[in-house]
Amino acid sequence: MISKEEVEQLAALARLEVTPAEVEGLQKDISNILGYVGQVAAVSLQGNALTPGLSKASSLMQPYNVLRPDVPRAVGDTMAGKEAELVAAFPKHEGMFNIVRKIIQKDE
Amino acid sequence: MSNLNELSITEASKKLKAGEITSVDLARACLDEIKKRDISLHAFLEVYGDVLEQAKAADAKRAQNKKEGKESHSLLGIPLALKDNILIEGRTVSAASKILEGYVATFDATIITKLKEAGAVFLGRTNMDEFAHGGSTENSAFGPTKNPHDESRVPGGSSGGSAAAVAAHMALGALGTDTGGSIREPASFCGLVGLKPTYGAVSRSGLIAMGSSLDQAGPLAQTVADAQLIFETIRGKDALDSTTIAPDTYPKKSLGKRIGVPRHLLKEGIDKDVLQKFDAALDALKTKGYEVVDVELPLAGLALAVYYVIMPAEVSANLARFDGVRYGLSHKGKTLFDDYAISRGKGFGPEARRRIMLGTYVLSAGYYDAYFGKATAARAQLRADVERVLKGVDVIVTPTATSPATKLGEKTDDPLAMYLMDIFTVTANLTGNPALSVPMGTVTRDGAHLPVGIQFMAAHGDESALFTIGKAIEARQD
Repeated sequence: MISKEEVEQLAALARLEVTPAEVEGLQKDISNILGYVGQVAAVSLQGNALTPGLSKASSLMQPYNVLRPDVPRAVGDTMAGKEAELVAAFPKHEGMFNIVRKIIQKDE
Repeated sequence: MSNLNELSITEASKKLKAGEITSVDLARACLDEIKKRDISLHAFLEVYGDVLEQAKAADAKRAQNKKEGKESHSLLGIPLALKDNILIEGRTVSAASKILEGYVATFDATIITKLKEAGAVFLGRTNMDEFAHGGSTENSAFGPTKNPHDESRVPGGSSGGSAAAVAAHMALGALGTDTGGSIREPASFCGLVGLKPTYGAVSRSGLIAMGSSLDQAGPLAQTVADAQLIFETIRGKDALDSTTIAPDTYPKKSLGKRIGVPRHLLKEGIDKDVLQKFDAALDALKTKGYEVVDVELPLAGLALAVYYVIMPAEVSANLARFDGVRYGLSHKGKTLFDDYAISRGKGFGPEARRRIMLGTYVLSAGYYDAYFGKATAARAQLRADVERVLKGVDVIVTPTATSPATKLGEKTDDPLAMYLMDIFTVTANLTGNPALSVPMGTVTRDGAHLPVGIQFMAAHGDESALFTIGKAIEARQD
């Protein structure tokens, strides 16, 4: 079973606050799930998608870049001109600015 | 059939075209049914206040089209329900999560743009497992939806609200999303047709992402023809989603009548009544001239384990954007770290938190190769497996789910047991193949007749093979 400390470390990495009561349940659940998905360890890394022999259709699974022109959204585009709505969604805003916490502070 | 809300989309569309009914009549019939049934079913998180105005506009558009001699789209004036993870500009969207409290969408999802062009009427947004994490709708932050066929049971999930809305005739059809079975499993539990399209067939722009390499939006409907109509309306290449494909991306297969059954997957863990219905459905297909052969998918037994590595990994990345800084729930703590941790800790429900942490685990430096690396390799092999089998048969068939709808609360304490329900559906998401669930009859539990579905999976881009065989199964039941 994964330890209490490991769960707390995971929660911190995932930026999640978890209660001490929850940690115990998570130890059990995550261990059970990892036990099950651990079956993937049996898979041989040979013959994976990067080896030849797969059809063209399969090669569509290969990562490749699809680029669009780097130009501003045209007027009428579903995503154009939505600045005010986006700002309205900020938890705290002033004018067109998002108010966020100061993260660079003087050394003490 | 006297009630307009019980019409299929195809039937309603014919009546609208013939001028026998109006969109307002249809919308009213649905709204009345919602008033009657949704208090106990809880399929909708919100019923929009302007449904009748939308319907009036649809009627006006039809009149205008008629005047100009233009053909109206078959979805013009048809009332549809939308899963709560599809953005509509100016309307609240929450993914059934507290973390999106008060969020109003700033643009239309591409599928909404397409449905608006067709003139569909949107009834409201439907309940779901939070961020589509689950197979029962019990993970909604706003309480579960109930199965219209037996209210002590779950409707399936995660598109459970959409499925219940259509099954209870509160909407003529609905949109859902499917990451590991979230359209097909509720379709099976609620007696509906549900389609998970080929990966890339339908734009994901404007869907709240769960697993970006797995997600597809698709229809939940009463009939195969209805599902086909919705699919054909929402599909298409989209500049806003670089993973979308053109209709001719994949080579067209010639349509035969060979069905492959991976019998080795059906040996254990399946309800025997479900299996009996499945065999009866295969027999019916044989009498229609289909040839049924055994096929081997050696890696399919591993599919669920692969899925529960890849999906949480993608979930942990996609849900990182909910940080309390740009939208949604925002709590202040002592430090910036606390701001994030408290907002996310309070905003995400238990299952979302579990999946984020699992994803964080399998992607962490020490475990990446053992979990994510292996799962990615297995996924490629699984895809090659499926592709090889589909060279010899037109569709691969299994039951959609291992059992009929389970009781509310039956599996909520055991996440792994809940995950095992997805065993037949996850493969299509991992490999990108299209898959369709069609009702294959009912089984009786505690006096209730519970629907069960049969699932067909076809080659990439070959949705038409699914519709053809789906209609053959439907015709058997008429």
